[in-house]
Amino acid sequence: MLSIHDLKKSYHRKQVVGGISLEVGRGEAFGLLGPNGAGKSTTISMICGLLPYDEGDIQIAGLSVKDKPKAVKQKVGIVPQDIALYPTMSALDNLIFWGRMYGLKGRKVKERAFEVLQIVGLEDKAKDKIETFSGGMKRRINIGAALMHEPELLIMDEPTVGIDPQSRNHILETVKKLNKVGMTVIYTSHYMEEVEFLCERIAIMDHGKVIASGSKTELCSRLSGGTVLRMTAEPVTEAFVAELETLAGVEQATIQSETELSLLLNEAESPLAEVIQTAVRSGVNIMELQREEANLESLFLKLTGRTLRD
Amino acid sequence: MMLIMPLVLTAILGSALKGVMGGEPVKMNLGVYTADTHELTAGFIQNVLKSSELKEAIELKTAASENELKNWLKDEKIGAGLFIPDEWGKQLQDGESAEATVYAANGKDIEAAFAKQLADAYAKSAQTIAISTKLAVSNLAAEAMAQQQPFDAEATARQFVQDMKGTATEADFVKDVPVGKKSVSSMQYYAAAMAAMFLLFNAMVAGKSFHIEKATETLSRMMAAPLSARTVLAGKFLGTLFFAICQFAIFMTATHYFLGVNWGDNLLQTLAIAFAFSFAVSGLGMVVASLTRDEKMADVAGNMGVQVFAILGGSMLPLTVFPAILKKISLVTPNSWALTSFTNIMGGADWNSLFIPITVLIGMGILAGAAGTWGLRAKY
Repeated sequence: MLSIHDLKKSYHRKQVVGGISLEVGRGEAFGLLGPNGAGKSTTISMICGLLPYDEGDIQIAGLSVKDKPKAVKQKVGIVPQDIALYPTMSALDNLIFWGRMYGLKGRKVKERAFEVLQIVGLEDKAKDKIETFSGGMKRRINIGAALMHEPELLIMDEPTVGIDPQSRNHILETVKKLNKVGMTVIYTSHYMEEVEFLCERIAIMDHGKVIASGSKTELCSRLSGGTVLRMTAEPVTEAFVAELETLAGVEQATIQSETELSLLLNEAESPLAEVIQTAVRSGVNIMELQREEANLESLFLKLTGRTLRD
Repeated sequence: MMLIMPLVLTAILGSALKGVMGGEPVKMNLGVYTADTHELTAGFIQNVLKSSELKEAIELKTAASENELKNWLKDEKIGAGLFIPDEWGKQLQDGESAEATVYAANGKDIEAAFAKQLADAYAKSAQTIAISTKLAVSNLAAEAMAQQQPFDAEATARQFVQDMKGTATEADFVKDVPVGKKSVSSMQYYAAAMAAMFLLFNAMVAGKSFHIEKATETLSRMMAAPLSARTVLAGKFLGTLFFAICQFAIFMTATHYFLGVNWGDNLLQTLAIAFAFSFAVSGLGMVVASLTRDEKMADVAGNMGVQVFAILGGSMLPLTVFPAILKKISLVTPNSWALTSFTNIMGGADWNSLFIPITVLIGMGILAGAAGTWGLRAKY
């Protein structure tokens, strides 16, 4: 469905996307994970034809984005990160407007608008203006606008930013249902749990490059053990971190903040006792310790030394 | 607000500057005093100053004394005061030179000159009758004497004067004869001026809407749809055009029914100019969008632009009072073309005279639209 080959993009001589290659099969749910500034939105914009790319090629359903932009755009539905709706128009009118932009006309566009309102669970809010909606409701209509023309590929750029958990869950469930009926979905986020829930295959991006890709199982197997120990302590110093990294069971120690530390542990060893002893010896007061199983966050931490939320 | 403001301004300016444009009659306040009871003097006051022809032009007040007349002038209760001296009528009858004195209030020289001209015209007419009567009676008397026939000179003279008095006082001292096209009243002028000015605001609104769409990402969403940039820009252009035309139609209807403004005998001409002007404004909207960085800048630049164009284009002060150089400069503003055309239509214009303004306005719209489109495509 989507084929990206060696995609590159620079702004003012600064490379923001440095040679990405990806394949997404038809009907697949593909996650693009990475922290803010990783290049996810830039990549998405190039896929949608909003940004020209400097090198490489993007093909959607066999059509080149560069050569046949209109045909490609007809196949793609984009859910932008910001709410791209007209606040003084009603939900129904917004959907009808965006449907018309994709060539829907007459009775069909109105019927489809009501269908979409049902999909996003806002059929009783059809005549209400967008400006009266909560953040979660706006995001649902934002998704709905992308569904009006029944796209083959749905691209969602961080669609759950800043909304309440209930709306977030509703959105995730909706996307899951859409994917189940055959829609190809590309989902970008810096929330690992969303990507894990929705996507079969995931690519992790950082600094404009894909640093890892594959199924969740494949990615997590790259972590040898991969348990993460999160520590809240005082004071967290470079010297303390360096000492922790000398311990046999600790693969990597990363300072998150003045009082937070993340330790990537080797499952073969259990260095918890040694970690506590080191802290006591260094005069570090441990306030909290939390153990997490191997996940994408820990893989990202291992690969980049940072968390996804950085 | 978009309708109420221009309506209110039209009403205020049209009323305040009534008479400036010359399209409506100017009523002057004239005071008169005389102690002269001669019938010629009475005839002047009754049959000329109080005639039906001058009723609309003159509000006449009769003073009890010359002092009262002068006090009225001081208090600006009258614009001009006419003092007819004693024996004025007798002097006219005798064919002698007789002059009435006219006093003018501050800045009312035109009214005083008008009153003086009325008095002088009447005096000349009366003198002509007197001289003609004397000559005719002398000739008739000489003839009667030659034929040795009786001749009543006094009765003949009286009859002569009687016959000519009607002619003298029925003379049209003031004739209202339109010359050339119909004059446009102040209300008409300012209705057209306000229409031209407020339609200009659509350029600012159009420019702002681009930035709002960009800020709210609806522009990106539109560009992600299978639409060319040209289609999106054309949509913006046509939207502005449609809105401007609707605005004009509503304003024209409202001024017609609430303020009694006559937009001319040919509605089609008015709408043609409105369309052409709206076209130019839509093009300007694209320019505003391309030259400004964000909504705030478009707001400030647009407001400034509208005010400058409005002043240059005659929406504040009539174009007729501009010096020649400013009149030439005003031609770069589309609103001056629109305003001039609207007032020409109100005065009775033919289609030939509208060809150039329509062409210029459409041309401005095309040029501005093209320039704006080029700028926006480069930007976005």
